[in-house]
Amino acid sequence: MLKVENLHASVGDKEILKGINLTVKAGEVHAIMGPNGSGKSTLASVLAGNEKFTVTAGSVEFEGENLLQYNIEERSRKGLFLGFQYPVEIPGVTMANFMKIAVNEQRKARGLEPLTAAEYLRMMKEKSAIVELDSKLTSRAVNEGFSGGEKKKNEIFQMAMLDPKLAILDETDSGLDIDALRIVATGVTRLKREDNATVVITHYQRLLDYIVPDYVHVLYKGRIIYTGDKTLALKLEKEGYDWLINDYKEE
Amino acid sequence: MEIVRLLASLQASPMPLSGCLGSGVWSIEADADRDIVVEAGSEARLVVVDGEGSAEINIDVESGAKLRILNIVHHHSATTMAIAVAEGAECRMTQVVCSSSDSRVVASLVGREARFELGGVFVLTDGDQTSVTADVNHMTSDCVSRIKVKGVASGKSHGRFSGLVYVAPDAQRTDSEQTNRNVTIGEGRIETLPQLEIYADDVKCSHGATVGQMDSDAILYMRQRGLSLADAKRLQIEGFVDDVVLHSAVEGDVVAEVLTQLLADKLNEL
Repeated sequence: MLKVENLHASVGDKEILKGINLTVKAGEVHAIMGPNGSGKSTLASVLAGNEKFTVTAGSVEFEGENLLQYNIEERSRKGLFLGFQYPVEIPGVTMANFMKIAVNEQRKARGLEPLTAAEYLRMMKEKSAIVELDSKLTSRAVNEGFSGGEKKKNEIFQMAMLDPKLAILDETDSGLDIDALRIVATGVTRLKREDNATVVITHYQRLLDYIVPDYVHVLYKGRIIYTGDKTLALKLEKEGYDWLINDYKEE
Repeated sequence: MEIVRLLASLQASPMPLSGCLGSGVWSIEADADRDIVVEAGSEARLVVVDGEGSAEINIDVESGAKLRILNIVHHHSATTMAIAVAEGAECRMTQVVCSSSDSRVVASLVGREARFELGGVFVLTDGDQTSVTADVNHMTSDCVSRIKVKGVASGKSHGRFSGLVYVAPDAQRTDSEQTNRNVTIGEGRIETLPQLEIYADDVKCSHGATVGQMDSDAILYMRQRGLSLADAKRLQIEGFVDDVVLHSAVEGDVVAEVLTQLLADKLNEL
């Protein structure tokens, strides 16, 4: 589904990604961990198509196509979803209105007719239940006055509405209490299918108690320096990153 | 055509050049000078649509009368509306400006416990040169004024908001609020000149003005969900100006629809 080869990216003159290699297949869940400032969020932003970053070398293939030729909204319509670490508040724009346009753009890209009002309302009700999102929130302005937990649930709600092929969740667990964490993680797990994939970027092992990854990657100084299975996350939780980083320094 | 539909939906009666208004719904095309009196105790709604050219409209709101005005400015026009509000009377006004034009509203609160409210929005595109003035004169005590104007300028347009709140020496216990919030896009420019001139000592007057850019993080967020850049901008600007349209002084389903359409057409030019 996703094949990243030797990806380099910069913001201004500063190179942040220094040769990322990552392959994600349908049906898989990948976790990307790593210390602060290692480039995790940059990787998510670059894959989503944030124009703040410049790709200086390497390639990204998504569903057999060169992903880098497309802009951010085109990538979204091809089935790539980014769950934001800091969801943005948009005063005056209701969730319902915003999502209706978004859903219909996705449908248009897939050659489907726009939803009728009734179909759309039913869909919102069904999908908001997945993340136990209070349905009243959908009539409010996007993320405005939402609590931290509600904002993150709202990200997963949007993911459910848009039904992406690949979801990249950037520190969706940060700032969540244990209940919200469970709800968000359960939502993600329920959306998992054989024909989609998830990349979870996280700081903490605890999210991976709920979302069981097939692979765990450690990102450090713009490179993936180690890949293991789910037991790697436990080891990192217990022992920190030092043993890996020390190994890496000696190389 | 949209405006014709709006007037028809309100069953507004066209006003003669000058005269007295009782209760009812009236409309005027501001293509010539007029003097209008809203009779004491009546409740009138008035739709003022600008014509090509300039006009001066004087309105006296007599004591205890309630006047609601919807002012649409969509031509190259220069319109001055001077509104005098008498004791216990109130005037609520919504103003929608979407053209190169010069609109001046001067409200004078001349009787005690008079009230004036203005909710305005101007949306400018490609080379529009527009000036919006909203002055309020508190001439006597215990009056209330609320001015809230929002502006959007894109594509080399230039907008100017000027608002003076004057409080006369006798106008004790004046309660006045004035805000002007603006968003510029690309090469659009907006100047804002909020002013206070206060000669009474027991008053509550606040004013604030901002000029900001469109929120690029919000645009990015919406595009990540699949919205085009144009849709994301339009939605954000709609969100910014919607409250003025949705709380129009002259109410009605078709009113909100027509105003939204008017702005949406303009916003599509952004």
